[in-house]
Amino acid sequence: MVIDLRKCIGCNTCSVACKLENGVHIGVWKSWVKQIQKGEYPNVSKSFLPLMCNNCEEPICVTVCPVNANRIEDNGIVSTDPHRCVACRYCMAACPYEVRYVHPVKKIVEKCNWCLHRVKVGLQPACVEACPTGAMVFGDMNDPESEVSKLLAKQPVQVLKPEMGTKPHVFYINLDHDAVEIKREVDVL
Amino acid sequence: MTELVYDIHHQITFRWLIALYFYFTGMSAGSFVISTLAYGFGLKKFKPAGKVGVVMAILLLFIAPIMLLLQVGWPVRSVWNHFTYLNFHSPMSYGAFLLMMYPLNSIIYAYFMFKGDMKKTKMFGMIGIPLAITVHGYTGFILAFGKARALWNTALMPILFLVSAIVSGIALMILVMMVKDKIFSKEKKINKEIVYTLASMLGWLIVFDLVLVFCDISTLAISHAEAKETAHLIIAGQMSPLFLGIENLFGKFIPMIIVLTPKFRSIRNIAIASVLVVVGILFMRFVVVYGGQALPII
Repeated sequence: MVIDLRKCIGCNTCSVACKLENGVHIGVWKSWVKQIQKGEYPNVSKSFLPLMCNNCEEPICVTVCPVNANRIEDNGIVSTDPHRCVACRYCMAACPYEVRYVHPVKKIVEKCNWCLHRVKVGLQPACVEACPTGAMVFGDMNDPESEVSKLLAKQPVQVLKPEMGTKPHVFYINLDHDAVEIKREVDVL
Repeated sequence: MTELVYDIHHQITFRWLIALYFYFTGMSAGSFVISTLAYGFGLKKFKPAGKVGVVMAILLLFIAPIMLLLQVGWPVRSVWNHFTYLNFHSPMSYGAFLLMMYPLNSIIYAYFMFKGDMKKTKMFGMIGIPLAITVHGYTGFILAFGKARALWNTALMPILFLVSAIVSGIALMILVMMVKDKIFSKEKKINKEIVYTLASMLGWLIVFDLVLVFCDISTLAISHAEAKETAHLIIAGQMSPLFLGIENLFGKFIPMIIVLTPKFRSIRNIAIASVLVVVGILFMRFVVVYGGQALPII
């Protein structure tokens, strides 16, 4: 997956399409768009950062899951098995991207799997198909003729938290450092 | 000026149930280790602590897994799936086996101890020591494998957990021995010798614990960006009253001074020190579990 942030207009269509396609419960998200504002008038801008599961090449969630509910599919997507998951939340604790959540009713852990059910029948993930500006590009990185391969070859790209060593598969063009650094405060106590 | 306009809320992963689970398994492992000093290693001095230790170890280990079952979304399925869909890369998978084997072994050990079969008691005591160490060490591993959180992701975590486990185990044992001797024994008198021996052991283990905590936090404070933020949070931020004040000052430093200074040593003061330690370690578990998640990671 390549996300060209030069084209992203922060319309949240991807989040809505994801909610519709996957029936994502209220209060939780499989994909969302972080939005920041920087500078002061007249030198001001907004940055958007669409976030979702990175479907890492070396995912920590697969390593730590005690019941083997997470696995890497043949096409490289990391999937979760709802029948095995017991919601011990270990994967949520270990994931550096916080893309996992416990379904409030089903009590199992879910996350974005790039619409595996669609990809398997040759369709694009719902967010990619819905994106009005074509900022999101999905395809096979091993095929040199695919759109993602061409973009990865020609454009300077960046991933989130490369230091975690999970080899994430969402590549951003024009990633804004400020959008990554600023975070919503957590209220644990 | 940079401002966050929109981001979603993330769920908090581990809560107080997990902190309590760590607390109870810790005290169980700690009291088991003390119990084997007499019946496994033959240190006669610790004989009065042997039976108390094993009973405490078993009781605490009955409470601990209940916390886990309350925490997971599917309690019954979780017990079944942990054995049928084993993942050898996950510390939690090993935990499932340890949480079965350790209480079983402790019960057998206790059975032979109360029956008076010293040879078999020694054997099961020796089997029990690595089990007790791993049953608590693995909980440290669980956190250490949570690599997204700077506070947890350190190789010191299992050792830190083990030492604090033994510290809290001894402190609780001192209290239980005092109550037992005072109320249930024939003489209604506290066995001073064992209490003093345990207290000096407690003191030196607290010294070791403080050294480990210092190593851990000072390394965090000069490490990568998120580690620095975490160190700031627990030393100078929101968590510092809990970490510095309750956990380290009242829970470790003051009891250490009390039990290691001959002038302050008396049955009453040792009891106070033990209560402080037992409460302090409880806060330590909470600081570790909540402190690890107190900073946003994405």
